[in-house]
Amino acid sequence: MNIEIQSLIKTYNQRQVLNIKSLSLEKGKIYGIIGPNGAGKSTMLRIIAGLEEAKKGTILYNKKHLNGEIIKNLTYLNQKPYLLRTSVFNNIAYPLKLRKYKKETLKKKVIEIVKEFNIFDLRHQPATNLSGGEAQKVALARALIFEPELLLLDEPTANIDPNSLELIEKKIIKRNREKNTTIIIITHNIGQAKRLCDEIIFIREGEIVEYGKTNQVISNPKCNEMKRFLSVYI
Amino acid sequence: MGYIFDGIIKAFKLLIFFDKEVYSIIFLSIFISLTSTLISSFIGIPLGFLIGLKKFRFKRIVARLLYTFMSLPPVVVGLVVAIIISRRGPLGHLRLLFTPAAMIIAQTLLVTPIITGIIFNNSKEQGHQIKQICKTLGGNRWDTLILLIKEMRINILIAVVTGFGRAISEVGAVMIVGGNIKGHTRVMTSFIAMNHSMGNYSTSIAMGLVLLIISFITNSILYKYVTGD
Repeated sequence: MNIEIQSLIKTYNQRQVLNIKSLSLEKGKIYGIIGPNGAGKSTMLRIIAGLEEAKKGTILYNKKHLNGEIIKNLTYLNQKPYLLRTSVFNNIAYPLKLRKYKKETLKKKVIEIVKEFNIFDLRHQPATNLSGGEAQKVALARALIFEPELLLLDEPTANIDPNSLELIEKKIIKRNREKNTTIIIITHNIGQAKRLCDEIIFIREGEIVEYGKTNQVISNPKCNEMKRFLSVYI
Repeated sequence: MGYIFDGIIKAFKLLIFFDKEVYSIIFLSIFISLTSTLISSFIGIPLGFLIGLKKFRFKRIVARLLYTFMSLPPVVVGLVVAIIISRRGPLGHLRLLFTPAAMIIAQTLLVTPIITGIIFNNSKEQGHQIKQICKTLGGNRWDTLILLIKEMRINILIAVVTGFGRAISEVGAVMIVGGNIKGHTRVMTSFIAMNHSMGNYSTSIAMGLVLLIISFITNSILYKYVTGD
């Protein structure tokens, strides 16, 4: 999914928290959004997901404004995903139930994905009893099962163990390569940004201060804010 | 101490020997409390979700008013309802005073804010997450509503049982609007209050035990549902 953002402004109680003049995101690429806390990264992602409204500006998804069809083709996942009070299986099957999949197809797809995410043995467990890493795997499996064109990830691997982190990163890359899914990921982990992202967007005080190819931005940052940020996190 | 044991023995006798008056009082109490809880649930559950999930002006004021209404003094509610439905009141022509209908109205006014308040409190936190997850997984408004009810079923049950508890144990409002008329508007709580004032402690204890048993049964059902034990 291609995304065009123009003159996007968001305010909270008359305080401007986001001001994106222009940004184009191409289909099939992985974009990393980095920046200090309170920079407006999550707000931007939530606006793209249609979970918050901007004060001004436009976002076009494949040259169309946000509508029911587009919402069905994107998904958003944050670092504390909400899992339904039911089994792991039912959680992952939920998006397919919303899309009225037949029982057999649904079961087949869920079994495939739980095997892929190494959570097959957990499929009958109540989702609310899972550890942080397991819960995040279930949430990502649930987000990917309906094959969205746009995947929005807000620090999906914060506070999880290295094994789960590695698996989640692999699945993100796999989905991007195999299905040409556009992915936007917020991360504070520069190593993760290097491993996953084609391009990096650095946001500070609601504005994009640096944007470009990952290696170029990280190895040769132009602005001082980015240099300072990298010196702390690397 | 003797009258306490007498009360307990009398309670079992009244129940075992199917005392007609006692059973009619029990059934009327349950009927009035269940009806008012049901009406309150139909109003309070959607209203609680609406206030909790929607953004609107004066939401804070509405929330404060709601919390105030949750602790409405029953006698004040009884008094207001009695004034409105009394012969000279605006709804006097309906001739509702000293009828079970008046008692249902008074209890509904007491219970609705409790159910609304509990649902409001839960939905403003958990409800937003549920709404968000449904939207990001491709659900429409109808799907969101169904998911909200499914996910918050325990909160809804707690709200309804709390409301029922308030209704069945309430005495002030039903005494004023019902009048405690034998065979017509006498309920368990007004029966206990009346017998206590007449010095019939054992009869009061007997009915009090019945009230406790009903409370125990409803809470046991809730506990079983919530914990699965």
